[in-house]
Amino acid sequence: MKAVILAAGEGTRLRPFTASEPKVMIPVANKPILQFIVESLVDNGITDIVIVVGYQRRSIMSHFGNGDVFGANIEYVNEEKQLGTAHALYQAKSKIKDRFIVLPGDNVISKHTISDLLDGSDGYSVLITTSEEPSKYGVISMDNGLVSEVIEKPEKSPSHLISTGIYALEPNIFDYIEEMMDSQVYDMTTVIDRMIEDHDLKGIITESTWIDAVHPWDLIPLNSTALASVVKYTGGTIEKGVVIKGNVWIGEGAEIKGGSYVEGPVIIGEGCEIGPHACILPSTSIGSDTRVQPFSIVKNSLVMKGVEIGPNSIVERSVIGDGVHINGNFSSNVNKAQKVVGNDIKTIERIGCMIAEDTVIGSGVTVKEGVIIGSTCTVGSGTMVRDNIPSFTKVL
Amino acid sequence: MCGIVGYIGHAKAGEILLKGMRRLEYRGYDSAGVAIKDDNNIVIEKKKGRIKEIEQDNIIAGNAGIGHTRWATHGKPSDENSHPFFDCDESIAIVHNGIIDNFVTLKESLEKEGHEFKSQTDSEVIAHLIESHYENDLLEAVKKTISQLRGSYAIVAIHKDEDYMVACRNQSPLVIGVGTDENMVASDVPAILDRTNEVIYLMDGDIAKISYKDIELWDETGANVTREPKIISWTVEDAEKGGYDHFMLKEIYEQPKAIHDSILGRLGEFKDVDFSKYNIDMIKIISCGTSYHAGLVGKYIIEEISGIPCMTALASEYRYSSPSDIYPFTILISQSGETADTLAAAKEARRRGCKTLAITNVLDSSITREVDEVVYTHAGPEIGVAATKTFTTQLIVLYLIAIQLGLKKEKLLVEEADELRNQLRRLPRKVEILLNNTDHIKEISKNILAKSEDIFFVGRNINYPVALEGALKLKEIAYIHAAGYPAGELKHGPFALLTKKTPVIGICVKDQTYEKMIGNIGEIAARESPIIGVAEEDMELQKLCDELVYIPDIQPLFSPVLVNVVMQLFAYYTAYQLNCSIDKPRNLAKSVTVE
Repeated sequence: MKAVILAAGEGTRLRPFTASEPKVMIPVANKPILQFIVESLVDNGITDIVIVVGYQRRSIMSHFGNGDVFGANIEYVNEEKQLGTAHALYQAKSKIKDRFIVLPGDNVISKHTISDLLDGSDGYSVLITTSEEPSKYGVISMDNGLVSEVIEKPEKSPSHLISTGIYALEPNIFDYIEEMMDSQVYDMTTVIDRMIEDHDLKGIITESTWIDAVHPWDLIPLNSTALASVVKYTGGTIEKGVVIKGNVWIGEGAEIKGGSYVEGPVIIGEGCEIGPHACILPSTSIGSDTRVQPFSIVKNSLVMKGVEIGPNSIVERSVIGDGVHINGNFSSNVNKAQKVVGNDIKTIERIGCMIAEDTVIGSGVTVKEGVIIGSTCTVGSGTMVRDNIPSFTKVL
Repeated sequence: MCGIVGYIGHAKAGEILLKGMRRLEYRGYDSAGVAIKDDNNIVIEKKKGRIKEIEQDNIIAGNAGIGHTRWATHGKPSDENSHPFFDCDESIAIVHNGIIDNFVTLKESLEKEGHEFKSQTDSEVIAHLIESHYENDLLEAVKKTISQLRGSYAIVAIHKDEDYMVACRNQSPLVIGVGTDENMVASDVPAILDRTNEVIYLMDGDIAKISYKDIELWDETGANVTREPKIISWTVEDAEKGGYDHFMLKEIYEQPKAIHDSILGRLGEFKDVDFSKYNIDMIKIISCGTSYHAGLVGKYIIEEISGIPCMTALASEYRYSSPSDIYPFTILISQSGETADTLAAAKEARRRGCKTLAITNVLDSSITREVDEVVYTHAGPEIGVAATKTFTTQLIVLYLIAIQLGLKKEKLLVEEADELRNQLRRLPRKVEILLNNTDHIKEISKNILAKSEDIFFVGRNINYPVALEGALKLKEIAYIHAAGYPAGELKHGPFALLTKKTPVIGICVKDQTYEKMIGNIGEIAARESPIIGVAEEDMELQKLCDELVYIPDIQPLFSPVLVNVVMQLFAYYTAYQLNCSIDKPRNLAKSVTVE
């Protein structure tokens, strides 16, 4: 059985963290989200994988290559213009001869999520989960184990059941896609809604892992969940006087310098330099070649690769993008924050800040809770940042 | 990455295994070996070095066997440490890819039981463990063995009295090739594609019993499973290119990882060479082609960081030059370590009484036997003939060496060295930023470079050699006449050639030559040649240049790494536009082993 993974979209709601990588390549627990999907498929014996790429496809292709590292045989098809999920799937038409499964590339799932679909299904099937915010997704109405209706992002939801976007399908789905594309409809939900007029679509409700990150602040709980499976490993060097508790993974060539305190679950990537006297506290991942300077605290945060965190800084419940350079005496305030999402105002319990790739933060900067700073910004010394800053801005 | 191949059937196993092993060469290796089984016994033939060094005469005629290409992890490359491995009485032979984490404790207890080890590898314990469990059933013995192993592995085992192979995998790749009256097993599909295109991918925890007729499989729970073979429709080359049009582009995009791998474990303490053993007052760097340009950049790097005077020489010239009474510390650079001219120069430098150091990408290559010290670039295998990531990592190694020399000479303070290392640590990300924005480079290549017959590259100071390298790349793969010049030399001759039809690529970073470079570009503009600037964001240049390619902000000392990536992309996209054979340019070879 083949699998088609849809990974062509940017994931615009996660901007500015998608400036140079698509959403599927954002690392959680130091692993791109898409890798969770590939590994789950391989664990279920599905090794023939077609990835539909588009936005910043190079970053996907250089990471996964031909798949041999992951025990899979990966092929790529390109979706030049990202019109919608059905249009993306259509690009893989020539690669599909038999019944296959299709998955969005941007959710964290486990091995069991896929087995749930494979075990319970024949013909057309969809994997269903429950959500507290069903109106963000395709909401499903069920009748006797069969799907009777799918409505994309309804204002009022008839149920808490939502489509995970993971389907087992027969090749003639492409006929329905063609039919809908003729009338300029490119999304999978509408295609499926049309298809169920002619065919039974079995709904399989899963309780296995399926986590979605829609907005930048969702990355922190997502990262914490993924970190739960970290195991103890020491590939780098640990100087005298370092305390390491719990499950801490330390990559090759990393150095943890004297007096540092690391409490798992924590992942420290290859070639990092931590301390002396730095505290890395639970549910933190740190990407490769990152440096955390003396007397700094990093707690419950997602720090990506090539980052520099200057001395005497506090980074808590925050997301720090690739190549961000934070000078000393930085502080991320953590508190309840309200963010505008579309026409709604959403309250987030306890959030720090989110800083996108290659931004430079001067010394002595404080960032208020919930603030998003765009990519490639410069924030001058001593600034108190109260509001979001768009990408490529200089704040003096 | 090690490579495994296994065969069982009716044909001559030796030939098939060697052919398959050659297909896995791209994974890189430092030694190779095969174990062939005939009706009575198993014979192993293994050697440190290339596959061709395996003695054909020592390979017996048998119809089953296992082969291995090794990339050293535990235990240095040597004949003894090569795979396959025997147990004590030479009944069982195994090959292994991966790392056994608990091999020290396993080895200790096996030694207490009287097992004798011939190598320093983690892999050999597997052969002895199987032996200790063997009771006339190889499959059961392997099952018991893997329950004791911690770590990653792909293993294939054979026994002289059993007519099947046992294969198992955990976190290291392994596939089974399904043939007619013959079956194969390998680390990757290319190794079996010559004989069959039907493949079964093994899962973690799987164990397989493979005879010439049947394949039986059990999963991690011990349950008997069937896995349907997949039909492979692509060719060997497609597989290796991982979705890229050419190896060259793939390798250009691998550079952030290559730089990361090259600095890994070397920033805290550079232990590759103990320079305190040597008295170094002068350095000479000798090399050919692209490596020569790396050496030229190295001259600027070493002189600026360590203050030690540094000369460069082309290997083919150095060999025939006259010896002198001074004995510079001599650095030889060769990607493959097999370049004939550079090898000869290494011997000559030694003969003249100089201490020598080689910078190479290939573990245990010929040059490493001709020198006093070796520093590896760790770029990973490079297949495109045009050197890309190997050039970049040669520069990285030169920075690392220069920092070490600077500290030794007390030219560099410890905190200055820290800052330089910090700059190195940020380089992978800076290259990545550049690679994320290549549209403009593509356009310039298509609209200007591909339409030209002569192109000039100019730079000053540390970026002068990068201008030479940019011109060389364009000549190599796009077959366009190009010349690199130090910008200050233009008016001493080549200026006469500048016209509207000769684009000039000007490298202009903000070092001490910046003002002069702006002046030079102004002079070129007056000749109406199209000017393509490669620079950091800059107002002044916008007025003078027709096109401007920006590189991320960086200390001038480290700018060659970024500027050169732009040069690589110019060459690649120009050649692409002109439909050139990018990975195998006409008349050129990857490893130049003739003088």
